[in-house]
This record gives sequence, structure tokens and C-alpha cells, in this order.
Amino acid sequence: MIKFENVSKIYPNGHVGLKNVDLQIEQGEFVAIIGLSGAGKSTLLRCVNKMHDISSGKLTVNGVDVTQLKGKEIRRFRSKIGMIFQSFNLITRTTVLGNVLVSLVPELSWWRRLLGVYPATAKIAGLKALDNVGILDKAYTRVDQLSGGQQQRVALARTLVGDPDIILADEPVAALDPVTAKIVMDDFQRINREMNISILLNIHHVDLAVAYADRIVGIRQGEIVFDGPTSAVTQEIIDEIYQGHGSSSIKGSAEPVAAEVVVDA
Amino acid sequence: MSEMIELKLNEQPSKKRQYLLLGGIILAMLLWSLTAITFSAPDDGGAKIAGNIIKGILSPDMQLLWNFTSQGVFYLLFETICIAFLGTIFGAILSIPFAFLMAPSVVPKPVYLITRFLVVVIRTIPSLVYGLMFVRVSGPGPFAGVLTMSLTSIGMVSKLYVDVIEDIDRGILEAMDAMGCTTFEKIRFGIIPQLIANFSSITIYRFDMNLRDATILGLVGAGGIGSPLIFAMNSYRWHQVGSILIGLVILILIVEAISNKLRAKLVNG
Amino acid sequence: MRKRTLTLPNGKVVTEQRSKVPLICAILLVFIIVAMRVTHFSFRTLATNGHQFFVILGAMFPPHLDFLNRVWQPLFDTIKMSFLGSLLGALVAVPLAVLSATNIVKSKLLSGFFKLLLSIMRTLPTIVMALIATFIFGLGTMAGTLAIFIFTVSYVGKLTYEQIESLDMGTFEALESLGLTRLQAFRYGIVPQILPTYLSTSLFSFEGNLRYAAILGYVGAGGLGIILNEQLGWRDYGNVGMILTVLIVTVGLIELISQTARQKLQ
Repeated sequence: MIKFENVSKIYPNGHVGLKNVDLQIEQGEFVAIIGLSGAGKSTLLRCVNKMHDISSGKLTVNGVDVTQLKGKEIRRFRSKIGMIFQSFNLITRTTVLGNVLVSLVPELSWWRRLLGVYPATAKIAGLKALDNVGILDKAYTRVDQLSGGQQQRVALARTLVGDPDIILADEPVAALDPVTAKIVMDDFQRINREMNISILLNIHHVDLAVAYADRIVGIRQGEIVFDGPTSAVTQEIIDEIYQGHGSSSIKGSAEPVAAEVVVDA
Repeated sequence: MSEMIELKLNEQPSKKRQYLLLGGIILAMLLWSLTAITFSAPDDGGAKIAGNIIKGILSPDMQLLWNFTSQGVFYLLFETICIAFLGTIFGAILSIPFAFLMAPSVVPKPVYLITRFLVVVIRTIPSLVYGLMFVRVSGPGPFAGVLTMSLTSIGMVSKLYVDVIEDIDRGILEAMDAMGCTTFEKIRFGIIPQLIANFSSITIYRFDMNLRDATILGLVGAGGIGSPLIFAMNSYRWHQVGSILIGLVILILIVEAISNKLRAKLVNG
Repeated sequence: MRKRTLTLPNGKVVTEQRSKVPLICAILLVFIIVAMRVTHFSFRTLATNGHQFFVILGAMFPPHLDFLNRVWQPLFDTIKMSFLGSLLGALVAVPLAVLSATNIVKSKLLSGFFKLLLSIMRTLPTIVMALIATFIFGLGTMAGTLAIFIFTVSYVGKLTYEQIESLDMGTFEALESLGLTRLQAFRYGIVPQILPTYLSTSLFSFEGNLRYAAILGYVGAGGLGIILNEQLGWRDYGNVGMILTVLIVTVGLIELISQTARQKLQ
């Protein structure tokens, strides 16, 4: 369970990333976070695994108070939370399996870490994760020879092999064509249902968000302006999230936020 | 012609003056340089000597060529390969710290400017000078050659390494942060795999060049095939020169072909 | 090598592809040890005697400034040799490169012959060419110029034919279809595409040649090498330091100019 209690995040340059966020996500939920670029979607995601520190409020993940974590505890904590990026962030010069196994590196003994030799159990776990996303046959191919969709599935397998409770996905399909994007979203949905892993996913495409997620969180200028089941999302709500004026079915601060909407180009 | 077209025609940028200036400079340099061409051939005429040389080279000393003792072409070539190989390996290792100290994304500006200047100095000092200095350290022989090559390799290799370092994809480091990896793990699994293929490719390329340059070392007694070659030339034994050159040319061509294949494989997977 | 298989929990079997890295490392290690034996490499000598290197280096500083007067003439000779050799070499390289390019010369035999010619020219060590040239043309800058000329032809020639072969021939065909002759099509379809790279390669080769020209004097082929050899022979390291300082400054300046020019070309 992820619980934001009155969380705010202010960047050193004064930019407000998150403002009084209250949010509770149960284990196994599939949540899509939508909003304009710069609205705070990435900040919200990156606070969960402490890639960003929060400025005030309380954030607990599975009962752990994230703000209290230090050094080694952060690394151990992060290894249970998978993360997926828009640009895949793979080592392109290494094989697919090599990329997947990086996820298990923190658990290896020191000499294995030095030499980069993985035990057979790790290799089997890696192959299993690749099988799970349907690219087992590419295990020994170099990543730079794969298509974008295949690369994102390698990234997905990389998080799966760590046996995470939560997967954070930051614009996972923004760099993919519509058909491939659907395939990758299917993978997310299957993993969410079969393995009961919570998925928090930032996404630009509202139609994809509505088609796949159970719950939609709308964010505008660091504030949550909508939070509800996918079935409750209407065109007005989407307009409200993206333009900042309109209907009343908004949870959270009801008063209209400042007139001008700042959009990071 | 319509007015519009005429206007456009006049708009064409005139680079005439630039070209004229450049041409003038080159021409002046050329005329100045032409004084370098002097004919001070020995009395019996260069053409005759040239004939002798070509005749000698084309009828190589087969006995020397197929001699497998430590005076034969094969052993000398092998020694040359060993010098170039060790020199390249050590040079490549020495280049790594230099490269990181030359990379703007790793160190602050004063550090990389100073290191770059240092590398230009190392690169510009002729290998012969190093050779003589190292002969003082190790005595004449191939050991001095290895030391010289290690030093002369640094210049080019570290310069090419820097480009690879600057091209590193930092996304993977963010991903590894999110996995809970330590700094050591990030370097070992995130950075080294990105560097190793290109570094190897550059090193192989340098090996090619070192093999070619190894002849010079013979001039200062730093081992390899250079010394017997130059000795044979100075004593006008052109048949021997022929056999050594044939061995050297074939060796370099073979090594070049292999290294091109290897490098293509390293870079393209 | 023995193939190993891994069995997944769901019964799928994957043939493991072992990394070749350990094998490559082992081969390299063996060769390093052999090469160390052959070259009599010893870390102990290096540790006990290594300071000798810095003794000479130390003796070069401070450089003897009064020797500067004797450096100018050889320095100019070096620049002349490398400039003339590079310029003429770069010009001669063009026809040879065209004749070596398989997409222009249809005869495989002809292009192969010129490719081999360029390869062999490049393989012959410059210092050997210079020495041979001194026998034919006598001691002096002429021999050095010739050696640099030959190296430049082979170097620029190779890079240029590689460039030509990597060109998109569509333009060439389009121009031929417009009724241009092969030569005209070459002039308007190929030249503009390869010119920047060709000029850049030539400049780069000039930079490298300047360094090389400084050595050639060692075999009597003119330039800084002559006095370098002389002063090294007399162990007058202060003068050697002066020669090296002048060389470093000159090479640095010319590199700076040439690099700026090359960046503009790109």
C-alpha cells in the first residue's frame, strides 16, 4: 500500500512539484496518472521510490516511512520497486539477458559482482521473466538489435526479475508507435492481474489510460484534481485536468487554481 | 529576365574574395615550400642507384626470409608483433586515466584543459626521443621499444577514448539508481559494458598503427625488425631489404584485414 | 565448447550461450606473458631504473634559449616538407582514389589493383621510404618531401575511395540520365559530396605529417630531425629541450588552425 499524506515537494529552484497530495493506493491496483507535461506526474512517481525527496508531509510504502530511509536502506527498499522509463534506459551493447540480470546484481556476492558472473538460479529467474513478456527467444541478442517495443519489454522483464511489489512506469509508451504501445500496455495489464503487482503509470494518451487502468489520477500544477475509478471519467473531467476550468465533480481543492496554466515546453 | 529572378541572382552569396584569399595563401605557401626541392644526388646518379634498389628489392634474399632462427625475418617479425602488442596494451591501460581526466563531463574545466595540454606534449615529442630516453632505463633492445610504444600510444588512444566517454548513455544510471544499485555496481554494470566494446576497437586500431610505427624504433636500438632493416639499407644490401620489406608488408596487410573484421564485429555486434 | 542448457520452471529449455570473454581474456593473458618473455620486459628493471627516464627529461629543462637561432631554419624546412608533401600527395590521391572506387570503375581488376597499390604504399614505413629517397636524391628536404608525399597519397587516397564507395550513387545516375557525360556527372554529382571530407582528411594528414617530418631528419631527410639527432648524440639535452619546445608550439598552433578549419568544413 502506498500512502501520501499531505505531501508537498518544492524543488531547490522554488518550483512546486507537488502540493498537499493525499493519495492512497492499495496493493494490486492499476493506476494511471494523467496531466500536462510539468504538472508533477514524474515527481509523484519518483517520490515513491525516493528518487526525489519530499519536502513535507508523510509518505509510507508498505508501512515503511520513506522519508526516514537512509543509504543502504534506500537501496534495499528500491530493489522491491520496479521502474520503467520512456527511453527504456537499457545497456544497448549488452545482451537482453545481461540487461535483465543487472536487476539481481545487488543480491550477488562480492566476487560475482566484480566479475559479473551470475549463478544458474539467477539466469533461470532472468529467462523466466523474459518468457513472461514473450521475448525468451531474444535472450542472447544484443539489445541494440531489438525494436523499441521489444526493448521496453526487456525493461519490463528487468523489473519483474526483482520480484517487485510495485512497478512505477514513467511514460512507458511515449516513444512507441500506437500498435506497439498497445502490446506493451497489454503486458502491464496481464502482469498486474496475474502477479498482483501494483502499477503506477504516467501516461499522455488519455485513451490508453482509460482503456487499461482501473483508476485514474488527474494532476495539475502539483495538485490532484481528480481521483476516481476509470468508469467515472468523463470528457469534462479530462478537460478540467488538462485545461483547468470547468465541472464540479472534482475531488480535492474545488476552488479554481490560478488563471494561467504553466506548461513546461 | 523578370525582376524577381534578377534580384535572386544578385542575392547569390559571393565567396569569390574568400576563395581568392585562400588560394593566394596556399599558392604563397606552395612557392615558399618549393625551395625544399633540391637535387643533390651523389655523383654516380640517383637513377642508377634507384635501379639497383628496385632490382634488389624485387629479388629478395630467400635465405633470410625462410630463416627461422632469431636472426631470420620470421623471428624479427614476431618480436616486432610482441613489442607492438605489449606497447598497445600498456598504452591502452595508461590512456584510461588520461581519458577520464580529459572528459568535460567528468572533471572540471581547468583539469581537462591541463590534461589535454599534457597529452598534446606527450604526443608531439617524437618517438625517437622517447626511445633514446628509455634505452637509458632498460638498455638497448625490445624492452625499450615496448616502453616507447606505451607512451606514444597514449596521445591518440586517450583522445579517442574521450569521445566514447562523452557518448555514454546516462539513462541506464538512472534505471540502476531505481534498482537500488551502489556506485560501484553502477560503474561495473552500467558504464563498463558501454565502454568496453569501443575501447577495444580503438585499441585494436592502435595496434595496427603501432605495428607500422615499430620500424622507427630500430633507429635507436629499441628492438624489432627496424634495426636489421635500416642496417641492411645503410650497407646497401638490397636483397635483404627486399626480404624484410616483403615480410613486413604481408604481415601488416594480414593484421589490418583481421583487425578490420574484429572491429566491425565489436561495434556492430 | 560444450553447450549448457537451462531448464525453466515451466519446462522450457534454453541453450545457454556462454560468454566468450573468459576465453579472450585467457588468450590475451597467454600472449602478454609470451610477449613479455620475448621483449625481456621486467617490472623490476622499470622500478629500479625508471628514474633514468626523468633524469634526461629533467636535463631538458630549462631549454637553452640561445640555441633558438639554430632551430628556425630546420623548423621551416620541416614545415615546407610537410606542406609540399601533403599538398601534392592530396592532389595525386584524387585520381588514385577514383580509380580504386568500385562504384565508379566497373572493372574489379583495375580497382583492385589500385587498392592494393595504395595498401602497399601505406604499409611501407615512412622512415624506410625517406631513407631510400636519400640514397636516390641525396640528403636533404627533397627526400623527406617525397616520403611524406607517398604516405599522404596512400592515406588520403584510402579514406577518399572509402568515402566515394559509401556514396549514394543515385545522384550520379540521375545526372547521367539527364545527358551528362560520366565525367560531368562525376563533377556535379560526386565532387560536392566528397569535397568537405576530402579537404578535412587532407588537413588532418597535414597535421600528422608535421609530426612525422620532425623524425625524418634522423635518416638525413632534412628538417628538425637532423639537429635533434645531432644534439641527442652530443647529449646536449638543454638544446634538445629547445627543439622540442619549438616543435610542440608549432604543432600546437598548426593543429589549432587546422582544427578550426576542419570544424568549419563539417
